[in-house]
Amino acid sequence: MLIPRRVKHRKQHRPDRSGRAKGGTKVNFGEYGIQALEHAYVTNRQIESARIAMTRHIRRGGKVWINIFPDVPLTKKPAETRMGSGKGSPEWWVANVKPGRVMFELAGVNEGVAREALRRAIHKLPMKCRVVKREVGEA
Amino acid sequence: MSEVRIAAEPRTEFGKGAARRTRRAGKVPAVLYGHGTDPRHINLPGHDLMLALKTPNVLLRVDGVEGGSELAIPKSVQRDPIKGFLEHVDLLLVRRGEKVSVDIAVVTTGEIAPGGVLEQPLVQVSVEAEATRIPESVEVDVEGMAVGTQVTAGELRLPAGTELVTDGEALVLQVTAEKTAEQLEAALESEAQPSEPAPAAEAEAPAERDAE
Repeated sequence: MLIPRRVKHRKQHRPDRSGRAKGGTKVNFGEYGIQALEHAYVTNRQIESARIAMTRHIRRGGKVWINIFPDVPLTKKPAETRMGSGKGSPEWWVANVKPGRVMFELAGVNEGVAREALRRAIHKLPMKCRVVKREVGEA
Repeated sequence: MSEVRIAAEPRTEFGKGAARRTRRAGKVPAVLYGHGTDPRHINLPGHDLMLALKTPNVLLRVDGVEGGSELAIPKSVQRDPIKGFLEHVDLLLVRRGEKVSVDIAVVTTGEIAPGGVLEQPLVQVSVEAEATRIPESVEVDVEGMAVGTQVTAGELRLPAGTELVTDGEALVLQVTAEKTAEQLEAALESEAQPSEPAPAAEAEAPAERDAE
């Protein structure tokens, strides 16, 4: 599961949920990709689950790239706790994904297999997504 | 490559407000520069430009700019990442017979030999070609390529009059072996293992919780 090796601060503010992806909006490494259509905090468990869904479907062929990294810790206060007494404990590691971001890429399999693998992976993710294909020759 | 005529109009107002008004009117803000001239800000018709840009490195004949019509190629195209609408286009002035450096796509044809996976680390290569004769793509025949085969940029067959700018030693594509059954099993087994908690979460002392 993806987690940062070390962090400067154990607890952070929740990241900004507004706006669109500034970069990483195209398929760069593979032939097909999963593009986010909504904003979401994607946890490392969801990333891993999506990756497993993809690799299980494509079996031996193909290669998968993960373009997002869960580097933001989210905290949670325990249940039935009164307000105050400081910030809760880190509970999840998330990637702050904005609309337009290509999160996963896939190559080395035919289009039918790739689309089905990506469709299965999309079901593991917390936002609306779509499958995108690499565009060639765009300046 | 045939040129595509496109009618431009000079842009007089600038900034995001003006740019948004332009886009609402079905036009695309663009800038035309090159050959040491001052940049010229123009508006282009959105639909015509969208159709023209379907051809990679299309040669545009931009009419209606100061100093008559100009030949240009798209240097940078900004699109909305979700909708795909054109937001802004940079056009680079070119002359007939002038050589320009552009990126062209590497397209594979055929099927590799069974048991291999085709990896293509380089999907575009930079080439230098005459502005009016830019190739759309360069084809690589991968029919029957066996595991271990590699193709470098220097081995690509470029059309006459086109020179490679990318390092000739750069790897364009290679055929690697598929995962063996054992490797696949090992990977799936490791996936099933629960992972370790995050170091930050681990370091958190339970005493921090509210005792109430």
